[in-house]
Amino acid sequence: MSTTALDRKADSASAGVRPAGYSLVRTRFGARRVSFLLHRRAAVVAVALLVLLCLTCVAYLSVGESFVAPTEVLKVILGQPSSDELVVGTLRLPRMVVGLLVGAAFGVSGALIQTVARNPLASPDIIGVTQGASALTVFAMTYGVTSFAVLPYLSVAGGMVAAVLVYVFAWRGGLHATRFVLIGIGFAIALRSLTTLFMTKGDYLVAQQAQVWMTGSLNGRGWDEAAPLGWVLLILLPAVAWAAYAQRTVSLDDGTATALGVRLGHIRLGLVLLGVVLASVATGTAGPVDFVALLAPQIARRMTRTAQIPLLCSALLGAVIVVLADLFARKLFAPTELPVGVLTAAIGAPYLIWLIIRSRTAGAGK
Amino acid sequence: MTTSIGETTKSGLSRLRARELTLAYDDRTVVHDLELAVPDGRVSVIVGPNACGKSTTLRALGRLLKPKSGSVLLDGEELARIPTRKIAQSIGLLPQSPTAPEAITVADLVSRGRQPHQHWWQQWSEEDERAVTEAMARTDVTDLAERSVDELSGGQRQRVWIAMALAQETDLLLLDEPTTFLDIAHQVEVLDLVRRLNHEQGRTVVIVLHDLNQAARYADHLVAMKSGRIVAEGHPGEIVTAELVREVFGLESVVVPDPVTGSPLVVPGAPYRPEAETGVA
Repeated sequence: MSTTALDRKADSASAGVRPAGYSLVRTRFGARRVSFLLHRRAAVVAVALLVLLCLTCVAYLSVGESFVAPTEVLKVILGQPSSDELVVGTLRLPRMVVGLLVGAAFGVSGALIQTVARNPLASPDIIGVTQGASALTVFAMTYGVTSFAVLPYLSVAGGMVAAVLVYVFAWRGGLHATRFVLIGIGFAIALRSLTTLFMTKGDYLVAQQAQVWMTGSLNGRGWDEAAPLGWVLLILLPAVAWAAYAQRTVSLDDGTATALGVRLGHIRLGLVLLGVVLASVATGTAGPVDFVALLAPQIARRMTRTAQIPLLCSALLGAVIVVLADLFARKLFAPTELPVGVLTAAIGAPYLIWLIIRSRTAGAGK
Repeated sequence: MTTSIGETTKSGLSRLRARELTLAYDDRTVVHDLELAVPDGRVSVIVGPNACGKSTTLRALGRLLKPKSGSVLLDGEELARIPTRKIAQSIGLLPQSPTAPEAITVADLVSRGRQPHQHWWQQWSEEDERAVTEAMARTDVTDLAERSVDELSGGQRQRVWIAMALAQETDLLLLDEPTTFLDIAHQVEVLDLVRRLNHEQGRTVVIVLHDLNQAARYADHLVAMKSGRIVAEGHPGEIVTAELVREVFGLESVVVPDPVTGSPLVVPGAPYRPEAETGVA
């Protein structure tokens, strides 16, 4: 590179450079200029996923023990009188809404924790968060607490305690991604054993109920579960919007991010906290629906090709996965209903194995 | 050998100083009671053998490492007391081996340098666009804008990282071994670029290097460190001598004037020859 080449470059640079692939959205609020960067591909993917989700939902409401025509389904959704009101509106719709919310919560949760750990393996269902939530919930169940009004709170508490323990044990003057994941996996295994212990100690009827819950099931979920979950997610929405912005900065390495004036410690803690609450609330409602938090963000990211994991797309994809999986869970071996977690595990487990193989070969290549 | 803090501070001001700075990793003290005044508007190079604490010192100057005791002062105020975002508006720092998020594009990465000037409600301004465009032009990476950082060569990647640090538009720029992993042509290219930025924009630059000859060529102010202490500092022409090289690096050498720049050039002592050892010759 010669000096003259540099001069020429510096002079001819009249056209402004923007981050490639982003569109600028600019507006004013009074005297304040407001501008947002919108990733074009991510926006297109989000719209596509939204359409896919709508189609999945209509299919979900149509298919079941009795088939309801999509036109009738739409009638019910739009509040028009229909003879299928009971089947669609009362039986299938609330359960679907729970699935949708649970999927979205798991999707975002996985995205946040994977971002902080900078590791695709670090999702709440791998590093002990959902296992912590399960352990406390099952413990409570064996002592006779079966109300779904109480269990979600216990789940959040359990998930939180597990996350704090993993965080504290992984902390050594800083948060090292690999150590975080390995310690998390260790805790996950320990907590799972603890859960089994509670189940074997407990009454066998309770144990059976806990077992179904443990696999992750939407069976019997309705508006009573959907409403609190919906409220919690709505309240957390501003936090998720903040996270989408803050995420941009933590995807750099620690040194660079700190040099750019990012309060890394605070932001990380905030993101993990949000991720843990989302995963725990979802677990409390439907049990640990395995692998959704692991799968959704990574697939979403491959679709959008963004430098960080896209939160909105992760949420949408998580919702699609759970609703679709529950559709198959209801229909595949009808009249026997499988817990939805069995299906997500069937898709997720091979993916997890592939991920580990791939990361090992990538490591060897360095 | 002239060792003087007095001379440099007399000739100019220092926005960035280290006072009785002691740095440690866990219980292992790496830097002891360091006093340093970074001369404004100059290129300072910290040089020394492996593990002498030069990178550690740089990290502390850029608040990546908290001092065990003593302090780093920016405009007379302790770094620890200044909000990190405010520091980022004055001090830019490029760590030794920064890692980019997977699949990030060049323009996206360089734009991250604007972080300390942005808010969540204002993610891109005309000022950002100007700074990024300029930084990319200066480092000659404009043509790479849409490429993924993963697929660049080492030299290109290093220029992209420097562009990111430039887009931050800070008066002080700290670079930790920016030439590691680069071949000699790219090393020269990067150091020339840094020198040019200093000259044209009057930015204060501090670079950590382990190559003494490169340091002597590019430094206005050379700081030689050994075992966590400053052994000598001043203009390279005044302080680089065979004695200093022996003291700092433990190497026998001859110091001659560089045929191109006239700055001191360190030529190491005779290499191993079989005849000399066996006495056949």
